[in-house]
Amino acid sequence: MSKHRVSRRQFLNYTLTGVGGFMAAGMLMPMVRFAVDPMLKAEDAGDFIATPLKVADITAEPQKVNFSFTQKDAWYESEETGTAWVFKNEAGEIVALSPVCKHLGCVVDWNTDKKNPNMFFCPCHYGLYEKDGTNVPGTPPLAPLDVYPTREKDGFLYVGKAEPRKGA
Amino acid sequence: MKWMAADVEMYQKAAEYVDTAVIPLMPVSFGDDMKQHATMAEFAGILTTQLEKQFRGRIFLMPGFVYFKGHEGSLEGLRNWENTLLDKQFKHVFYVTSDISWRQHEKGLGGSLLWLPSLSLDNLPDQQKVSLVDDQVKQLLSLFTEKWQEG
Repeated sequence: MSKHRVSRRQFLNYTLTGVGGFMAAGMLMPMVRFAVDPMLKAEDAGDFIATPLKVADITAEPQKVNFSFTQKDAWYESEETGTAWVFKNEAGEIVALSPVCKHLGCVVDWNTDKKNPNMFFCPCHYGLYEKDGTNVPGTPPLAPLDVYPTREKDGFLYVGKAEPRKGA
Repeated sequence: MKWMAADVEMYQKAAEYVDTAVIPLMPVSFGDDMKQHATMAEFAGILTTQLEKQFRGRIFLMPGFVYFKGHEGSLEGLRNWENTLLDKQFKHVFYVTSDISWRQHEKGLGGSLLWLPSLSLDNLPDQQKVSLVDDQVKQLLSLFTEKWQEG
């Protein structure tokens, strides 16, 4: 290695750019972080809510899953419990149905009416839905049960916001 | 449905389907048993709120019937509520309370009195609170469905 002599001018140049660079970085980094942060945040689960149900445990028989989420009402935030009926349909796809009756908003139950086995039953006005959530004509509800979009993450089921479907 | 503007709007569209009124009876006092009465009132409120969530399409949850403990007028007041409600579309009236003194007036009331011992939920972790109340609500639900099946 040849000895390279550094002149005073060069030395001062190097140190000043070095220190100046650090200072500029110190100022700019937080700004960049602030600008980028919202984008990073939007990337994780989005509006999907984690449920305690493992995807591997989902069977063809609908099972009730409770999950909690925070709901913001004009004045206060509250911890709400949501429920979904989850099962695999014939095609092997995961279906998560909202338990809220499309008639007047009671909570439906699976397979509780003895006269109509393997159906969703609303105890309020005896509304009936097929397993896939289609409303049975002749009973009060006029639309199928809402469906939650589903997603799998780390083996657990995540559900989104329930979406309405068209009537039968 | 609850006593709220949005729910009332829904009620007005579907009044013929809503035939059951639920009234939580909530005692108030400022004596030694103040806390006990607060627990009772709170419990009746929580129970009926959960109940309403399950059956919101058929029951109308009235704002609580609040009365000062030891006032003889409260039974009269409740009877007035009852008469007004039964005059309107309601077929069934349910009272939910933890105050045992209503038991002796049960015969004087046309509606069904559901008495449950109040549980102090003060010092429990959230999860336990929820499952405790859920169990109680489940038992109440079957009382409602039975009554409805009777017609």
